[in-house]
Amino acid sequence: MTTYTKEQVASLVDGKLDWDTTMRMLSMPKDNERFALYLEALQKKVQWKDKIVLPLGPHLYIAQSAKTKQWVTKCECGHELGDYRENWKLNAVVYVRDTEEAMNEVYPKLMAPDTNWQVYREYYCPSCGVMHDIEAPTPWYPVIHDFEPDIEAFYKDWIGLPVPERAA
Amino acid sequence: MEVLQASQVQVMGIDAGGTMTDTFFVREDGRFVVGKAQSNPADESLAIFNSSQDALAHWERDVDEVYPELVTCVYSGTAMLNRVVQRKGLDVGLICNRGFEQVHSMGRAIQSYLGYALEDRIHLNTHRYDEPLVPLSRTRGVTERTDVQGEIVIPLREAEVRQATRELVQAGAKAIVICLLQSHKNGTSEKRARDVCRDELAELDIDIPVFASVDYYPSRKESHRMNTTVLEAYAAEPSRQTLKKVSDRFRKHGAKFDLRVMATHGGTISWKAKELARTIVSGPIGGVIGSKLLGEALGYENVACSDIGGTSFDMALITKGNFAIVSDPDMARLVLSLPLVAMDSVGAGAGSFVRLDPYSGAIKLGPDSAGYRVGTCWPESGLDTVSVSDCHVVLGYLNPHNFLGGAIKLDVERARSHIKVQLADPLGLSVEDAAAGVIELLDQNLREYLRANISAKGYNAADFVCFSYGGAGPVHTYGYTEGAGFKDVVVPAWAAGFSAFGCACADFEYRYDKSVDIAVPQIAPDSQKAAACNTIQEAWQELAAKVVEEFVINGFKPEDVMLRPGYRMQYMGQLNDLEITSPIGSAASPDDWNRIVEAFENTYSRVYASSARSPELGFSVTGAIMRGLVATQKPVLPEDPEEGETPPAEARLGTRPFYRGKKWVDAVLWKMEALKPGNHITGPAIIESDATTFVVPDGFETRLDKHRLFHLAEVK
Repeated sequence: MTTYTKEQVASLVDGKLDWDTTMRMLSMPKDNERFALYLEALQKKVQWKDKIVLPLGPHLYIAQSAKTKQWVTKCECGHELGDYRENWKLNAVVYVRDTEEAMNEVYPKLMAPDTNWQVYREYYCPSCGVMHDIEAPTPWYPVIHDFEPDIEAFYKDWIGLPVPERAA
Repeated sequence: MEVLQASQVQVMGIDAGGTMTDTFFVREDGRFVVGKAQSNPADESLAIFNSSQDALAHWERDVDEVYPELVTCVYSGTAMLNRVVQRKGLDVGLICNRGFEQVHSMGRAIQSYLGYALEDRIHLNTHRYDEPLVPLSRTRGVTERTDVQGEIVIPLREAEVRQATRELVQAGAKAIVICLLQSHKNGTSEKRARDVCRDELAELDIDIPVFASVDYYPSRKESHRMNTTVLEAYAAEPSRQTLKKVSDRFRKHGAKFDLRVMATHGGTISWKAKELARTIVSGPIGGVIGSKLLGEALGYENVACSDIGGTSFDMALITKGNFAIVSDPDMARLVLSLPLVAMDSVGAGAGSFVRLDPYSGAIKLGPDSAGYRVGTCWPESGLDTVSVSDCHVVLGYLNPHNFLGGAIKLDVERARSHIKVQLADPLGLSVEDAAAGVIELLDQNLREYLRANISAKGYNAADFVCFSYGGAGPVHTYGYTEGAGFKDVVVPAWAAGFSAFGCACADFEYRYDKSVDIAVPQIAPDSQKAAACNTIQEAWQELAAKVVEEFVINGFKPEDVMLRPGYRMQYMGQLNDLEITSPIGSAASPDDWNRIVEAFENTYSRVYASSARSPELGFSVTGAIMRGLVATQKPVLPEDPEEGETPPAEARLGTRPFYRGKKWVDAVLWKMEALKPGNHITGPAIIESDATTFVVPDGFETRLDKHRLFHLAEVK
């Protein structure tokens, strides 16, 4: 089995890992300790002390609060977006592109969808303004709850790590 | 070793690999020596010189003495391939049709996964385009269009060619390649563009070469043609300099021969040849050519060639004395239109890394390998992942004190401890059983691969003799041939230098190909058949002129050249064509056409089945081929008188513990060079020489024949 160094996994996270190593990682069975190394690399990138439980996006995490041990969805900047079982988008800032004019800001004219049929909803962090997600639903569609991860099963059954403590 | 100056040294073969440069010298009486030296990418000629000295030392002779005696010398090497892989070629400028500037970078959409194993190919996230040979910044489009029928729809705008030429020179181009759409069908516009470009360069007073695809590889498939022509400018021109250096050093030491290079079509060409790109892959081809010659000498029509080195297992089939040629292979992750000796390769060799899949617990071999670093058994390797060689060392297959003639010392205990931690303990096995499991798995994989490749082509292994060579071949021969049912299994005593030997066997042969489009129904009027013959004849004449020109460059007279025309043909509407050596020297009459058809149908029934013939579909000729040869000196096989079955006492080196089939046995060690023809050895035995180790386990026996070929058989 292949193993990788902390530095290699950190470069992978930064998108700076050389292609030969990246290719080997992609084509070989995943090494056992990868997730732990991955979390460690991510933890180094954030300023806060809360322990990362699961990354959700390039700047979005589920983390265990250092004080309360509750699991919350958190922006990289530290802004909290609520309990991890709730839809974090409901606590984010949203910008809806639902006019032709707004669409033309991101697409050439006549190459964007008809906003009577499809709109874009962009979700931003209320503190630092980083974009976390975009959804492209029909105008009347409720806010999409992307997924609710089964973190216990993931830790216990898939990667064989102890589940981090969680206060209800 | 031999009596001094017993006879003249005639032939030299060179295999300049990435790590080792092998040379192979053959005397008039068929005796040969193999030399090895560390490769030297900065000056290949030096490595060849050192390797030659190493080889000739066996005869207590010297380069200055021997080089002047040599009649012929063939080079094969990986330098050009490395130049391409590492993108260290010439700064080339490219002129193509306006609007098609991006085509070269897009690599026909398949260059992103060429060369990948299947499991990587089917995962999109591993796909990646290499840097194109010519960047967009040095690509210019010009207005022109020739349609698929070869009609000029939009004439060339010459002013744009002049403009493009000036811009490319400005952008630093050191050579200019011109490749316009459908130029294989009608080269008028491209040739005009070439002349205009040359004219403009002359006006600018700049002396850089111009390559038009129509002058080099006039074959259909635009990406293939463009890539191949670019390759000619990008890598072949710099390689020509390397070869010139090699040739110059030979001259300095008194050589009179003209250096030749192994080419993808299985012949050798001069380093001065116009089309040098076709020497990009040469090493493995040498083995196939050598097998063909050996097969002819021994009367074997069907040969399965197997070459196992440190990183890969290559195999090729010789059927009815011929190897197959593919016309648009991919090499170095590029689609190309070069005729290439058909070979199949799998990335498993003696140096492959061995790992456990953490989920299934299964042993996984490769795809990467230790290469020249052998394995963890070599403490200086800096490796800590177990390789197949480590398993060999632990089980007593290899002599830790005589690896590469004792050049490096192997540490058995180091290999043991790595196997224990990485394989044996997680699997709950003893170190021996874990290592034996690895060997068994590799042998099984190779055997299955060999078997599948023979039966997939509709053949039966019982009709084939298997030749096993390559540095690591003889260690595995018993393993991948056991139970496969070959008629005979042959291991040449010079297995490690077999590719170099094969290169020395190759003809001095140029080959040119050209696409043609001919379609004739089964029942056609004579006029149509004659017209088809006309088209073929025109193409042959065009190609023959090129072939003769190449030989004239090397000082041959046109009448010395033996021309062998050929063609590619298929049933109309079918997808695969077959390459046929023409039964006629020139084509004109309807009767000539009938003979062309007849030769095709005979080949078709041999390759597939006679009941599969479908003449009712009509016939297409897709390509014209012209090969030209001149007579050359080839190695003759050594021939010694046979002696008794019992090996001489001085050949016996002792015994070594050897593990196979869950038990340790004492294998008898033999010195390969000291064995005499006729000698018979029953396993368990290990026959050693500096460059290779031949393993004959329990249940096998081998006999050395008068040509110094070992025949391996299972004891029933």
